Amino acid sequence: MIKILAACGAGINSSHQIKSAIEEEMKERGHDVKVDAVVVKDINKEMMDQYDIFTPISKTKFSFEVKPPVVEAGPILYRIPAMADPVFDELENVIKKLDK
Amino acid sequence: MLDAIIDFANTIFQPLIDLGAAPMMFILLTLLAIVMKVKISKALEGGLKLAIALTGIGAVIDILTGNFAPALQDFVKSTGIELTITDVGWAPLATITWGSAYTLFFLLILVIVNLVLLGINKTNTLDVDIFNFWHLSIIGLLVMFYSDNLFVATLLVIMLGVMKFINADVMKPTFNDLLDMPDSNPTTTTHLNFMLNPVIMVFDKIFDKLLPFLDKYDFDAAWLNEKIGFWGSKFAIGIYLGAFVGLLGQQPIATVFTLAFIGGVSLELFSIVGTWFISAMEPISKGITDFMSKRLKGRTFNIGIDWPFLAARPEMWAAANVIAPIMLFLALILPGNGILPLGGIIAIGLTPALLVVCRGKILRMILIGTIMVPIFLWSGTAIAPFVTETAASVGAAPAGLEDGALITHSTLEGPVEKFLAILVGQASEDFSPGPILAAVGALAGYILLFIWYLKQMKKRNKKYEQEKEAA
Repeated sequence: MIKILAACGAGINSSHQIKSAIEEEMKERGHDVKVDAVVVKDINKEMMDQYDIFTPISKTKFSFEVKPPVVEAGPILYRIPAMADPVFDELENVIKKLDK
Repeated sequence: MLDAIIDFANTIFQPLIDLGAAPMMFILLTLLAIVMKVKISKALEGGLKLAIALTGIGAVIDILTGNFAPALQDFVKSTGIELTITDVGWAPLATITWGSAYTLFFLLILVIVNLVLLGINKTNTLDVDIFNFWHLSIIGLLVMFYSDNLFVATLLVIMLGVMKFINADVMKPTFNDLLDMPDSNPTTTTHLNFMLNPVIMVFDKIFDKLLPFLDKYDFDAAWLNEKIGFWGSKFAIGIYLGAFVGLLGQQPIATVFTLAFIGGVSLELFSIVGTWFISAMEPISKGITDFMSKRLKGRTFNIGIDWPFLAARPEMWAAANVIAPIMLFLALILPGNGILPLGGIIAIGLTPALLVVCRGKILRMILIGTIMVPIFLWSGTAIAPFVTETAASVGAAPAGLEDGALITHSTLEGPVEKFLAILVGQASEDFSPGPILAAVGALAGYILLFIWYLKQMKKRNKKYEQEKEAA
């Protein structure tokens, strides 16, 4: 199973939209993923290192180096399938490369 | 004409309203989603989730106020500080607002306003952040709390709606700058947060003139956030404030612990229930977005989403973390404030706007943010009776609230707009000259300041253009 970390400002709205969209789409594409949605501010190095992929809304700056591959998931929030598809494609590529 | 529509609506809706808020909103939201061509099972899922969210928020408010309200009374007795209003944060207010059928009405009006503005090229932003339409709805409801005048409330909502779209357009280049987004990225936001930009900008200009040298002392925000770590998380803050109230209220030690843990539990539960409630809005949001984008084939536009894409900038959090203790202190000494900050103490209704205006200059954000805190506290105090009564009318207020305890949100976005709504509401109650003069004056000042701000933003955007050409 691939563990993905989604993050936003309150850990409530945007990150949960990203979580449910990714879980639904990846299931359809035959990948076993689990997405956790948290507040950006609560992420530390320890938490980040437990995940295989990080999917923030936009480029995010931390005081530490982000180890897992990053896929920017902002376009999922536009709610327009044609704009979200590239994110899912990129995510699928990363998942395939992880080879878990 | 409008009265006839309302009468007609009342005969249809009265039996629904009599069922109570949760069943009523379950039925209305499900039906509206079906009208927007959402699959029936998805529509039902959304409606049911809204009903359990409403019920759940009521239960958590009950836990929080049931324990805090008596302790706050003792706090007042032993300290002489009159802070009796419980700060429940944003989730209960959002839920209460979505518990009113008028919110669906304002939502439809704003969708139409958006489509019309896009149609006549007065905005370039398509707003898909359906959930946050409650920000303007609560302003409409506030007008109606004072005057029962739906027409005037709708006018104010439309005016603010139009201004928010214009604001989303002028902020776009700043978002690209702050987040390194290419021009092809359509992300913007119409969030009510950013209607505070004009006021913040006044102080930012003063800063430019008087204290420009301060900027060189800016520190690394990401570093500060890491140092603060879990000490700044929701449950930790609930625990401090619970203990604070308990100790200053001279409660027995066991009660101090209870208050601390209840504070932590409530803040965590509010955001968990908040997630149900946002996923409740998901099907209808998708339906409305499909509906709008189908009507806009062939037009390119920016897309307005919720503000958290800005949460990527650590300055936003550093400012919120530093402002939290300052807010607690100000709350204790500010005349006219009745709120002890709790659920809203991390001021995400304020710091995103600071980030946009000051563009990440952290010391400015903190200093100007501190100046803004009183506006939020006064606004939160002013709307407390309205919030408490509205909570009761949608069945989200527990029995314990009847004996005069009040609830509010200390850092609710749009504090200036709340005062506008109160003045407009008072003016349209009996249309007497005094209140009308006050309302018109306030509106004029508000609009003029916004126009000045637009000019400044256009100057800023021109500079961005020139920089791009030079590069």
